[in-house]
Amino acid sequence: MESHGVARSIRARTEEQRLQDLEKIKAYRNLENQILSQSASGTYNFALFQLTTELLHLNPEYYTIWNIRRRCLISDLLFRQPCELSPSGASLSTSPNATKERPLDASLPSPSDPIPLYHRFPIAGKNSAGLVASTALADPQRSDIQYQAPNSEGRESDGKVLRSELAFTLSAMDPGIGHPSTAGSDCTGDMGNGTQPSVQDAYQGRTQLPAWGYRRFIVAKLESPELQGKSMAEDEYAYTTKIIGFNLSNFSAWHYRSQLIVRLLDRRGGGDRMRAAFLDEELSVVRRALNVGPDDQSLWYYHQFLVSQISEYGDGHTIAPALTVDERAAYLRHEIEEINDLLEDYGDIKWIYEGLLECTLALKQLEQRAERGGGIFDVKTWLVKLQALDPMRSGRWSDLERRVRD
Amino acid sequence: MATSFENLPEELQLATSAHVKYIQSLDTRKDEYDYWLTEHLRLNGLYWGLTALHLLGHPEALPRAETIDFVLSCQHPNGGFGAAPGHDAHMLSTVSAVQILAMINAFDELETRGTGKAKVGKFIADLQNRQTGTFAGDEWGEEDTRFLYGAFNALSLLGLLHLVDVDKAVDHIVACANFDGGYGVSPGAESHSGQILTCVAALTIAGRQDLIDTDRLGRWLSERQVASGGLNGRPEKKEDVCYSWWVLGSLEMIGKAHWIDRDKLVAFILRSQDPENGGISDRPGDMVDVWHTCFGLAGLSLLEYPGLQPVDPVYCMPKTTVQRVLGQSWKKTPLSSSAGSI
Repeated sequence: MESHGVARSIRARTEEQRLQDLEKIKAYRNLENQILSQSASGTYNFALFQLTTELLHLNPEYYTIWNIRRRCLISDLLFRQPCELSPSGASLSTSPNATKERPLDASLPSPSDPIPLYHRFPIAGKNSAGLVASTALADPQRSDIQYQAPNSEGRESDGKVLRSELAFTLSAMDPGIGHPSTAGSDCTGDMGNGTQPSVQDAYQGRTQLPAWGYRRFIVAKLESPELQGKSMAEDEYAYTTKIIGFNLSNFSAWHYRSQLIVRLLDRRGGGDRMRAAFLDEELSVVRRALNVGPDDQSLWYYHQFLVSQISEYGDGHTIAPALTVDERAAYLRHEIEEINDLLEDYGDIKWIYEGLLECTLALKQLEQRAERGGGIFDVKTWLVKLQALDPMRSGRWSDLERRVRD
Repeated sequence: MATSFENLPEELQLATSAHVKYIQSLDTRKDEYDYWLTEHLRLNGLYWGLTALHLLGHPEALPRAETIDFVLSCQHPNGGFGAAPGHDAHMLSTVSAVQILAMINAFDELETRGTGKAKVGKFIADLQNRQTGTFAGDEWGEEDTRFLYGAFNALSLLGLLHLVDVDKAVDHIVACANFDGGYGVSPGAESHSGQILTCVAALTIAGRQDLIDTDRLGRWLSERQVASGGLNGRPEKKEDVCYSWWVLGSLEMIGKAHWIDRDKLVAFILRSQDPENGGISDRPGDMVDVWHTCFGLAGLSLLEYPGLQPVDPVYCMPKTTVQRVLGQSWKKTPLSSSAGSI
């Protein structure tokens, strides 16, 4: 129904190839069915968790499987009392004081963390006509689960599990980086037999989006009061630096970085000078990258983000909210100079002209708002260049020209 | 604005009758494994195929009575629809069901032979997270802005949008907005063309386009066009015919469809056809499928390719259907651009 990147061919498979395909299909569907039916029965345990590892190895885009993995973590692999492990590794707390539905994740800040299904749509078994109004959890395995803040041993165990999940996402994002032989070894030591699938070859050319989403979910767990109770913004910021170091052209990594910065700065708690210094450093990071890859869209989008942090002020929630109008104007002028320098080395790359235009218009707006006069920039020339270099978007350049004229 | 197609090479024509035959053949492929591998998309596939046929001007090419029978056979007592008989109810298949019934004008059958509109509305409304405003896909709780759009789409067609907290849902969409003007699957997630279309369409249905940074978003969307003329879904990714819908539909809704090269996109879509066997693929030379056939044709319709029925960018259905059901359909209106961005 939906195929991507599959070459059109007259069906000229040999019979042998056809049979091989059928075997592959059968294996894939068996694995999928195993996972989905176990998930439907509500039995989230380490065995199911391992099955998701196997399927994600084959298909990291299958977001429902990442969801099932989340549920395994929430309901089984985390917040266990180690002494109550059953021989199979499944965890079932059977404390007589069990409370049934204290929301496990009520305290977690992550907006991307789905509220566990049994707290919103309690399962009443496969016969249910969809959603059930009652709050009783009909699955007998679930009814005794006690959700309590883990003791320090539990915290340590959970921390290990979650950090190994971070390693899993790293290998999902770039098979060259991850070390699957060590990822998860801590947690499999606790839980019994665990084979370490090789994920290296599986993820070439696949979308990373579900992996990033899953990573944010894991980070939120680690940050929760029950565990580390503190922000991981620094670590995650460092993670983006690492990923970008391997591949500058990683839109997801730069995006995530832009999301982390404000939280990071709040945590570092420094004053205005520290914030301005941070802004300087980020600008030079992206400029250094642009010097190497001036036609890289991801870099220009991040540059646009930083420029908007400078030019849009007033709501306080930016990198350096205390910058004065004059200081902001100075930043923008400096950026214009730097981007002009790029032109000397690189000539006709449309992104450079677009960058110049963006900074200039931002500067104009800033100055208008502060009712200052400014220098004259060669906006019209740049627009002419953009029309020539990028005729596909001529509708946009014409609109811009009309606006600049007014 | 009528686009001239003088610049197109003569050999690039829309292979209408081949596409009709292709869509008609889809349900006859029960001896192929792919048919069974995609059973979890059957009802959605029916929507894609039917939309394509309507846009091609051949709405009668799939038998109406059998279509209604099949759709209703997917319905659960709680009002929701699964992707195929016996498959669990889900938002996406429910939306497809409502859209199919809207296109073939069969809401009355929903009343007499199905569970009725009200129950369908309740199934959808119950999937809203009343704290955050967003929607889950089903009882398993996975949240995605696509489901929010699906809910608005189906509920508005059923006249039941009042069942949900529209304002809260709008707040959630705003929380999914990014600095580049785009929208992601959830707050904090990066911009993606599919999510952008769903968020922009949902805001349009809610009458809140004022919340969109149309200049920034228009810029982001216009950059999806690559040298081949095709559109990609995100920076650095390959072009794909289905983004002719997700990206172009979004641009249309915010009044910036002229920010891409229309002739080049038309040529790209036409080159992605299989003119002999019918169907359209993700890019020239690849395998065709009904998803890309639907969205490629929807893109061509937005580009006003001659002979196609006009498509409504908010609902991805023929304008005539939307007009009939809602009493009005999408009109291009000049939107004033927001200040403060290029």
